[in-house]
Amino acid sequence: MINPRILDLVMQIELGLLIFSVVVFFAHGAWLYVISQRHTRQLVHARTALVKIIAGMSQSSNDIQVLKHLSRNVKTTAFLEMSRNISGDAKDRLRMAARTAGLVDAARDYCNSSRWKNRLRGARLLTNLDERDDIVRKLLRDPHPDVRAQAAEWAAIQPTPAVIDDMLALLGDSDTEFRFAVQDALLRMGPGVVIPLGEYLDKSDGTAAELGLELAAAIAEPRFLAAGLLHSRNEDPSVRTSAVRLLASIGSDESKNRLMEALNDPVPDVRAAAAAGLGKMRHWPAAVQLSKMLADTNWSVRRESAMALRKIGGPGMLLLQRAALSSDASTSDIAQLILDTPLAE
Amino acid sequence: MSQILAGWLASFLRQSEFIVLMYFIAVNGWYLVLLVSAYLEMRRHMLLISGESRWRLLSSRLSPTITMLAPAYNEEATVEVSLRALLALHYPQLEVIVINDGSKDSTIEVLVKSFDLVPVKNVYDNVIATKPVRAIYRSRTYKGLVVVDKENGGKADALNVGLNFAHGELVCAMDADTLIEADGLQRMVRPFLHKNNVLASGGTIRIVNGSTVESGRVSVTRLPRNMVAGFQIIEYLRAFLFGRLGWNRLGGNLIISGAFGLFRREAVLDAGGYLHDTVGEDMELVIRLKRRSYEAGKPGTIEFVPDPVAWTEAPESLRILSRQRDRWQRGLADVLWRHRDMFLNPKFGVTGMVVIPYYVFVELCAPLVEAFGLIGLVVGLAFGMLDLKFALLFYLTAYGLGTALTAFTLILEDLSFHRYERFGDRVKLFGLTLLENMGYRQMTVWWRLKGLWKFLRGRKDWGVMERKGFQSKPAAP
Repeated sequence: MINPRILDLVMQIELGLLIFSVVVFFAHGAWLYVISQRHTRQLVHARTALVKIIAGMSQSSNDIQVLKHLSRNVKTTAFLEMSRNISGDAKDRLRMAARTAGLVDAARDYCNSSRWKNRLRGARLLTNLDERDDIVRKLLRDPHPDVRAQAAEWAAIQPTPAVIDDMLALLGDSDTEFRFAVQDALLRMGPGVVIPLGEYLDKSDGTAAELGLELAAAIAEPRFLAAGLLHSRNEDPSVRTSAVRLLASIGSDESKNRLMEALNDPVPDVRAAAAAGLGKMRHWPAAVQLSKMLADTNWSVRRESAMALRKIGGPGMLLLQRAALSSDASTSDIAQLILDTPLAE
Repeated sequence: MSQILAGWLASFLRQSEFIVLMYFIAVNGWYLVLLVSAYLEMRRHMLLISGESRWRLLSSRLSPTITMLAPAYNEEATVEVSLRALLALHYPQLEVIVINDGSKDSTIEVLVKSFDLVPVKNVYDNVIATKPVRAIYRSRTYKGLVVVDKENGGKADALNVGLNFAHGELVCAMDADTLIEADGLQRMVRPFLHKNNVLASGGTIRIVNGSTVESGRVSVTRLPRNMVAGFQIIEYLRAFLFGRLGWNRLGGNLIISGAFGLFRREAVLDAGGYLHDTVGEDMELVIRLKRRSYEAGKPGTIEFVPDPVAWTEAPESLRILSRQRDRWQRGLADVLWRHRDMFLNPKFGVTGMVVIPYYVFVELCAPLVEAFGLIGLVVGLAFGMLDLKFALLFYLTAYGLGTALTAFTLILEDLSFHRYERFGDRVKLFGLTLLENMGYRQMTVWWRLKGLWKFLRGRKDWGVMERKGFQSKPAAP
């Protein structure tokens, strides 16, 4: 039998918890209401001042004073929301205002904090303000992955050789997470990345090479041709597939020839990528070979070949229509499917 | 003789009531651990998303392609609005596949007319075996839209058809009547961009009843007047905000809601897609993916992301709700039975040693223990073996901690997303939290018991769900 006194005690504890949660819930609601009223008023002042500053309508120190006297949270919110929607001169003016209002110094302090949450805040502020401060570069090696990811985003605005090298090292590191942030930042860094990335591709293999090739394909720069040709003969099918996509994005005569060869690759993914690439380049001399690929054993290869023929235009369409009458069911089916597909595709 | 029997029965009842109470305290103690874990995880998550800019994802050539898989069965009333909302999601590389699972109404006609669909040759890559496809349609207006009309085979079969057609690196399984918030995919894809071993991610499901829907988007969030839907709001908040979020930090998420889940397509195809012969196909797939990752020596993770939100209509009648709960319990029992060799098996790490045992002892057995405790209480009272004061104290003690925990979940919601802003809604939420244990919860216990019984008898039907449709005008204050 349970002692009723124990039940009583447990009940009292539970009742206490319940009353506590009711008080917290409603008190928090009231607090939120009060804060949001104050916050909203302050934000209106901050936005008004910032709009004047970034529009170049105000040289007055009054607006800066308004910003200086706001709470750090309001300041941060106002600058962050503005920073997302502007660029060029307006962004420069916003950055100058942030410096004068003490926000950049605060962000630097955050970056040196022992708490990862503060480092993340600091890196995020400096990233959004396009502040080219080397303090964030150190965070590319931060022990916390979320801080590293934020620092990788920042790197896009600082395309110096040293930062590019750091970023390529991250790309090649098999332990690196947040690959999207690294690849995307490198992509946004512009032409400065081309030579170091070419060198990186020459030296790398496996997954590191695959990621570099994906990036190179997105950049689509003719100087990657040599790397593309080299890796298109790599032993690893994933690397070959990425290399074929890179060659398709470059579009030179050598690329086209290599893609034609790749149509005979033993791995379906490589053949499909080659067919898609030839279609993308509208390489009409490949049309006959592509029409033969409509009988391939692999669905993706057949589909990409048919789509490539359609993209090629006149000769490709003619071959597709002929293939639709083929006695081979898989050839005629795929050809008819692509012919039926509306042009929105 | 009868006195001896009565004495024995009284003693048995007291002892068993003690065991039941200990069970309640142990379960709620574990919930407390989950709540603390959820709080810590929520704090971290709110920090990560505050000031986060997603424009890079929106404008990048490297963003992963997502294929939305939307099975539709008798959805003529809502399918157009839902699909337009889906096509308007803010995500750069999006493919949408609607699978009409042999609807008996005019779902396919509505789709053909509204989206300018034309039939194309009925040929596709049959990677996963499914029921026959009757027709394939492409849109003349929407480049990324594919509509597949197939013979009825259930949701799992429809999703498998969708997988056969999908080209995206990631696939998002959903219900055709689910309303995903415009930036939901940008938020849900986050774990895949940050980590290499993510197998699936899931977002929060919220209940749309009572809220206002305009052009396929929830514009005003309100609580429903219907109490049954209101109780479900409390249940969903508890399940998502402290259940799944709490498990996230402990590495033990095993459920991705069938209404809104994102998966790595290759992993799902390698696993053979969804199973047809279970009513818990979403949980089964997640466990299978997790299991295969352990067997391959590269344990993958299942991530719950609290900020992407999908809205769904909750049943407002007890009859329909009972079918749903019965089905959920059958699904749970079936999935745990299929993967019984993972139970307390160290080969499967935290999943085998902690998560599966939790699901067995807490989620599966809870209705049995609870029903036993309640029946014992009633019998004890009826035969004078327990006095009224003790019975009342027992009842309040058993359910009190659960109520307090639910109240803390409301605080967690308030600290993070704060969707129910009105004072009246706050009062209502609290009222529902207190009332939940006075009848509603006991009904769910009964429905779950029925589910277990049907599982033991081998029943695998889904039951019929009836939809009321979305409310386009706000509820009166």
